[in-house]
Amino acid sequence: MRLLALGLLVMSAAWAQDCRSLHRRGKLAEARACHNRMAQSGNALQQAEAFWYMNNADGANNFFRAAVKAQPKNPEPRVQWGRFYLERNKREDAAALFQEALGVQPDYPPALIGMALVAAGSFDAKSVEFAEQALKKDPKAYEAHEVLARFAIEDGNPTEAAVQADKALAISPEAIDALMIRATIDWMEGKPGTEWIDRLNKVNPAHAEGYALAAHIFVINRRYEEGIKLYRKAMELNPDYLPARSELGVNLMRLGEEDEAKPMLEAVYEAGFRDAATVNTLKLMDSYKNFVTIKKGKIILRLDKKEADLLRPYFERELERAVDVFEKKYELVLDRPVQLEVYPNHEDFAVRTMGLPGLGALGVTFGNVVAMDSPSGRKPGTFHWASTLWHELSHVYALAATKHRVPRWFTEGLAVHEETAVDPEWGDRLDPGAIRAVKDKKLLPIATLDKGFTRPSYPNQVIVSYFQAGKICDYIEGKWGWQTLLAMLRDFGTGAGTPEVVEKHLKIKPEEFDKEFLAWLEKSTESQVKGFEEWTKRLRAMSADVKAKNWDKVIPEAEALGKIYPDYVEAGSPYEILADAQLEKKNTAGAIAALSGYAKAGGRYPATLKKLAKLLDEAGQPEQAARALERINFIYPVQDEEMHRLQGELWLKVGKTDKAIREFQASVFSKPIDAATSYYNLARAYRAAGQLDQARDNLVSALEAAPSFRPAQKLLLELSK
Amino acid sequence: MDAAAEVGCRLRKLLLLGSFCAGLLPGTTWYITVAGLGGEPEYETRFKNLATELDKSVRATPDVKVTTLSGPEATKVRIEAAIDEAVKGAKADDVLVVTLIGHGTFDGVDYKFNIPGPDLTAAELAGKLEFVPSRRQVVINTTSASGASIEPLRRDFRAVITATRAGTEKNATVFGRFVVEAFRDPAADTDKNEAVSALEAFQYADKKTTAFYETQKRLATEHPLLEDTGKGTGVRAPAPDNGQGLLARQLPLLKFGSLQQAAKSPAKQALLAQREAIEGQIDKLKYEKAAMPAEDYRKALGKLLLQLAQVQEEIDQ
Repeated sequence: MRLLALGLLVMSAAWAQDCRSLHRRGKLAEARACHNRMAQSGNALQQAEAFWYMNNADGANNFFRAAVKAQPKNPEPRVQWGRFYLERNKREDAAALFQEALGVQPDYPPALIGMALVAAGSFDAKSVEFAEQALKKDPKAYEAHEVLARFAIEDGNPTEAAVQADKALAISPEAIDALMIRATIDWMEGKPGTEWIDRLNKVNPAHAEGYALAAHIFVINRRYEEGIKLYRKAMELNPDYLPARSELGVNLMRLGEEDEAKPMLEAVYEAGFRDAATVNTLKLMDSYKNFVTIKKGKIILRLDKKEADLLRPYFERELERAVDVFEKKYELVLDRPVQLEVYPNHEDFAVRTMGLPGLGALGVTFGNVVAMDSPSGRKPGTFHWASTLWHELSHVYALAATKHRVPRWFTEGLAVHEETAVDPEWGDRLDPGAIRAVKDKKLLPIATLDKGFTRPSYPNQVIVSYFQAGKICDYIEGKWGWQTLLAMLRDFGTGAGTPEVVEKHLKIKPEEFDKEFLAWLEKSTESQVKGFEEWTKRLRAMSADVKAKNWDKVIPEAEALGKIYPDYVEAGSPYEILADAQLEKKNTAGAIAALSGYAKAGGRYPATLKKLAKLLDEAGQPEQAARALERINFIYPVQDEEMHRLQGELWLKVGKTDKAIREFQASVFSKPIDAATSYYNLARAYRAAGQLDQARDNLVSALEAAPSFRPAQKLLLELSK
Repeated sequence: MDAAAEVGCRLRKLLLLGSFCAGLLPGTTWYITVAGLGGEPEYETRFKNLATELDKSVRATPDVKVTTLSGPEATKVRIEAAIDEAVKGAKADDVLVVTLIGHGTFDGVDYKFNIPGPDLTAAELAGKLEFVPSRRQVVINTTSASGASIEPLRRDFRAVITATRAGTEKNATVFGRFVVEAFRDPAADTDKNEAVSALEAFQYADKKTTAFYETQKRLATEHPLLEDTGKGTGVRAPAPDNGQGLLARQLPLLKFGSLQQAAKSPAKQALLAQREAIEGQIDKLKYEKAAMPAEDYRKALGKLLLQLAQVQEEIDQ
């Protein structure tokens, strides 16, 4: 009996090998038939594998569970189950199973390879450690070399990727993922890759998984359209390979092709493939019914219905302005309109960036489509939406100019540079993280700056890398001029790497550039970097004087601290403390000067800017007061009807009726408690602008809300005479 | 009885109370405002300041009787004494406004307003208010857990406003701050009739409360309700289709401005009647809005509004 059982086990193991082999050789019809038979085998592990192949997730899960129970001392069912989860992007579940397998058999190479794949999925350098551990145990585990090759190519290191792929092929000439990585390296460089594809086709002419891997590499390098083509190829080779269909749908959605993406993802979902990306993307697309789409010339703007009326004038103006400016700067007219999507719910925005490395805290660009947070999705003062819009629009042009071949550091550097180029008050300031990085010499060489974005080695490195990349672009523009930056951008489009481009256009070696740039940066940030520790101590000490209301001591100290670290505009900045102290001493002019300094240094807290506006108005400077409030339009124009109303009054006072109309309209669209007054104010502004029909129309709206509203009645009578 | 018929019936009942215009309702307004225990110095000060601010706002208006209790004075005995004063002095046409500021609790059976000494339950408060002759009453309970006070307090011709939708919403509230603000912010008078009705105050404070949580990006821990039918559980958005808000719209919390003076002048009675007739036509037109072409509606509305403005101009002369 035991012999019979052993015989059946050996037979079913061989059976599984046969089915896998048929699949691996691209004989999909035969593989399907083989798996259909295997589903009846009576061996839970083989049945699980068969159900997995047949896209029956529930069945596969049940049989894997049974297989693990039946073979508690065998790590293989756990590893296979983990691979099943991995394919469905359930990395945590997969990792738990691989860990369990390692508990059963420490250093079990397939489990280590599983862990390496899990880590690679989140772009974690531990992937390399796991793969190397697997190779130590089993030097012939070619799949570990394939994982290392994949990690290297994702890391922007094609040379190492080729080395690892070749090692895999030396162990097994039929290492099909290694062949695909070799082909992908060629494709990324614009070469045909024929040699590798020919070899691949001899082994497996229907390697959908391989094409999906290549597509993934293109996508994470922001070459979405080429990635989509490769996903389509994967689908063509094996229409049943649902992970590729799901990825295709997700990436079509990213490029704004919802008409094709939605039915595709719905079909994937119905077929039982329900990973987070598929489900969340479907949910996101369902939410599009709550959005309005505005098409106008070169722009498409998608806004949530709840805030579309309010935000449209501000977003439309900045989007059109950015397109006009960038067309001239980048000497490029886009072949399609730019589409901007604005999400009030940060989770919706986050769905768009899922699975992409180091992307989009605030906004993200996919070809001509830009997605970003709405100001209403963030706390007031923490987000400058206009700055983000210009940042992302710059990516659209940099990507278009280079056919998506621009290195990450350069496109981010340009984007950061553009934020302050449009307005010096915009963009991010020198923050404590960047100060520490400069001080501790943690900035990366220009040649490897991309790693700071995709493989950060310390917690704040992505932010620091944005800062560094922006400063590099500032430096190049200052020393060599904009045309040099543009020429560099164009050369990146030919596939040239950073060292080559730096040498060609800046006429120095990258290492020399690093030295010169760092010297420039250290000089320009010297007082802030050197004085930072002292500044921190003195700011802390000053709080005691603030508490004790010792304003005569606070005033000179706050002034001094503002000079040491002028970029600090966060809560409790010396500017605000100084303004409060000056007000306590009845020195309004001093308070205005302090808060004007805050605004010019990029201070963003609406309450502080409103305080400045109030002081300016009281000091008889209504236009300056209006300008102080106008800054808030670019930061937090939502949920603040009062700010729009006050701004409208100020603009009306100084005769800027177009701006008064804009702000009173915003007041109306803020859905105020007192709608009648908002319409009445708008009518006043129209009247001042000589647009009497609009004035009358808005008076009717005011009186519709409040028929007894006497100021509106009086104006209506006046206009009807 | 269907919902529309029920609303119609309530409307007739309310008409018996007098004019539709809350600003013109005659009578004295009796205010009883109580700031309960804070538990911590910060809350103690906050509650007391809110009560003081409310006291100041209402004292600045005509025809009022005001009792404001806070700190050690806000005991059950003192509250009951204040109500007894209204029991003795108030008339049927008067309005009674009771505002509770502070912390409340709900043990699954009783809602309790936290005050020095024994707490005041909602049932005890309801029992005392039954004896006040004013037919029109408003209870504004801005405390935590105040949603649990709706059931014991509701009755015909009484609007009950609470900061929370249930007794289980136990966190300290911000709703009270905005209720008090409604008493001094002219924007709260959304129909510009120179009176802030209970409905306007509720909608003002509700909207500000919502905006507070949205701006702070915090999960809202209070969901204000209004109940004025005497038998409902309270709603967040009073409207004709849920039958809530009709009474609250007629209940003036605060009256100000010259409309009061005009109402008292015999010489202006004809003009006031004419104005009321035009207002009636405007209300009728608004009800017909959905069934009319937009342009016709705007034209007809503009004409009526112009007539109303002309009549008002004469009244003001």
